[in-house]
Amino acid sequence: MENVPAFSATEESGRKKFALPVDSEHKATEFRLFSVAAPHMRAFHLSWISFFACFVSTFAAPPLLPIIRDDLDLTATEIGNAGIAAVSGAVFARVAMGSACDLFGPRLASAALTLLTAPAVYCSSIASGPSTFLIVRFFTGFSLATFVSTQFWMSSLFSAPVVGTANGVAGGWGNLGGGATQLIMPLGFELILKMGSDKFTAWRIAFFIPGLFQMLCAYGIFFLGQDLPDGNYAQLHKSGDKHKDKFSKVLYHAVTNYRGWILALTYGYCFGVELAIDNIIAQYFYDRFNVSLHTAGIIAASFGLANFFSRPGGGMLSDIVARRYGMRGRLWALWSVQTLGGIFCIILGKVGTLGVSVAVMLIFSVFVQAACGLTFGVVPFVSRRSLGIISGMTGAGGNVGAVITQVIFFRGSRYTTEKGIMLMGVMIIACTSVITLIHFPQWGGMFTKPSKGITEEDYYLSEWTEAEKEKGFHKASLKFSENSRHEGGRRVGITESPDTHK
Amino acid sequence: MAIRAFLFVLSCLAAATCRGATFSSLQQTLIVTASPQPAQVLKAGEDEITVTWSLNSTFPAGVDSSYKTVTIKLCYAPISQKDRGWRKTVDNLVKDKTCQHKIVANKPYIFPSNNTFTSTVLRDVPTATYFIRAYAQNSEGDEVAYGQTTDSHKAVNLFEIQAITGRHVSLDIASICFSAFSIVSLFGFFFLEKRKSKASESK
Repeated sequence: MENVPAFSATEESGRKKFALPVDSEHKATEFRLFSVAAPHMRAFHLSWISFFACFVSTFAAPPLLPIIRDDLDLTATEIGNAGIAAVSGAVFARVAMGSACDLFGPRLASAALTLLTAPAVYCSSIASGPSTFLIVRFFTGFSLATFVSTQFWMSSLFSAPVVGTANGVAGGWGNLGGGATQLIMPLGFELILKMGSDKFTAWRIAFFIPGLFQMLCAYGIFFLGQDLPDGNYAQLHKSGDKHKDKFSKVLYHAVTNYRGWILALTYGYCFGVELAIDNIIAQYFYDRFNVSLHTAGIIAASFGLANFFSRPGGGMLSDIVARRYGMRGRLWALWSVQTLGGIFCIILGKVGTLGVSVAVMLIFSVFVQAACGLTFGVVPFVSRRSLGIISGMTGAGGNVGAVITQVIFFRGSRYTTEKGIMLMGVMIIACTSVITLIHFPQWGGMFTKPSKGITEEDYYLSEWTEAEKEKGFHKASLKFSENSRHEGGRRVGITESPDTHK
Repeated sequence: MAIRAFLFVLSCLAAATCRGATFSSLQQTLIVTASPQPAQVLKAGEDEITVTWSLNSTFPAGVDSSYKTVTIKLCYAPISQKDRGWRKTVDNLVKDKTCQHKIVANKPYIFPSNNTFTSTVLRDVPTATYFIRAYAQNSEGDEVAYGQTTDSHKAVNLFEIQAITGRHVSLDIASICFSAFSIVSLFGFFFLEKRKSKASESK
């Protein structure tokens, strides 16, 4: 069996030149933020901007609620239910998105979802009561599944040394939309009001802003983006370079990998917590500390805006720790940062003065968002064949966490909001502890050493049957195994390659 | 205890005025009547409300010596406050959210003349059940007395206002058109993609 697979038809016409240094899979080994070179950095910018747009749309209603609740005659319960609906739609959509990425490629999958959810945003303008409001928030929330395509796309284009950073920045800058929308929507509303509209009309017109933004992003992705360094899925399928995988197999290898389930659970207690806080934090500061709605909105925005550096920071930390300690370092970093997030959450629920509360909230936001970035430093390595569904499951787990947290702690009057926040912190610490159970045979786990004699190839190629290997379907996994060698830590260099190849 | 005092000081600092005037400290010296009949439904932006107030003669003369201006507001009835914390009734008048819509503000108090006011219901008034309250204010603008069209339980003489929807036919059409355009462009994408892959296959 050849070590190096035959090159594709495009190679014969001349070696493809990439603007960034690449590995054997043509994934970039460097991350240059200020470049827009195709395909790597261009895809990065397209994906984070469109994910940002989806976040803006999903959380466009909360800052305008004081107007919307009067127009649609909403009660606090109806508002709460719509908020839960907004994050629950994406639970299923994220898993579906994972499969779509595995089968059709992230470019088509994310452009399609963004365009399919744009009508929900436009139709928010014609909402007439509590039920229609809930329906539009529910369907708009599906767009948060573009998170999965973002992470999948970055994992397909960026190599192991920088995949954590790429995933972290793309995810973080997308999440920024949840904070930016608290500033964009009121601004748009004010402008439209100044142009002579009634209040109850102005908020409706304002929803065209996120709607148009989403549509334009979808066009950008379709026309300017590319799935893989070597081309798009459809072309690669036809030319035979990329094997079109079977959904049932991809799904099987995803659901039977226990690491995917563990990460789905823990992601619910960093990202899920972040979403829950996005929905309740403005009201918390407004009610408990009697700040104005305007001030509460700014505080709420700053929580989301911390994503600008905190989630990317988490991704970068994951990559930095991996250089010396490999996958074990990534797992330790994830566990410690997320547990610290839980501790600061408990403190947030306990403090009773405004200034200290804002400060603790900001520290808490940094840790919880960094934990999100650290999670997706681990996800790309769980599976190669089912990367999409694993990413989707983890992402979906985030939304499930958001739903569960809001239903248990932030609904009705069972707990005061501050008690709910404190208990949420306890739950974060408890659920994060399962990370200790993750064990990669080739690299080990937090408390376990690598299993003797198991290589990266053994792990990733175990997802393919002998028959499939004979047909050469596993080539991508083979290349990936080689490129992920340094997840073993500093003691294993990239140049060292075991002779046990199948 | 100390924390409560501190919070009170903090909230005072946050409030525009720190006089701590409470509703329960006000005297109900005004008698207020308004044109809407009980259970009548008024349309925002179209129908008019006429409010008339007078001083209750059972009070000693001179009780209105400090009244300089009158502010009349639309107030939410308890049924419209239910499960809506942003319309909560609180004794502290600075924090009270019962009466959020002004019919007229700071009208000079020149009783017995000048005690009627008519205006159209504003277009940003939401759909809800209301009553009307008039506050008499002193020269510093603080409330010193009030009167309202309903009883102390806020149960009688309530009327409804139907808000404008804010929807327009043009907006509906625009929403539908843009939504349709999104879906159509999606099919366009799929079609283009199929064509591209067929082209690369034939190469």
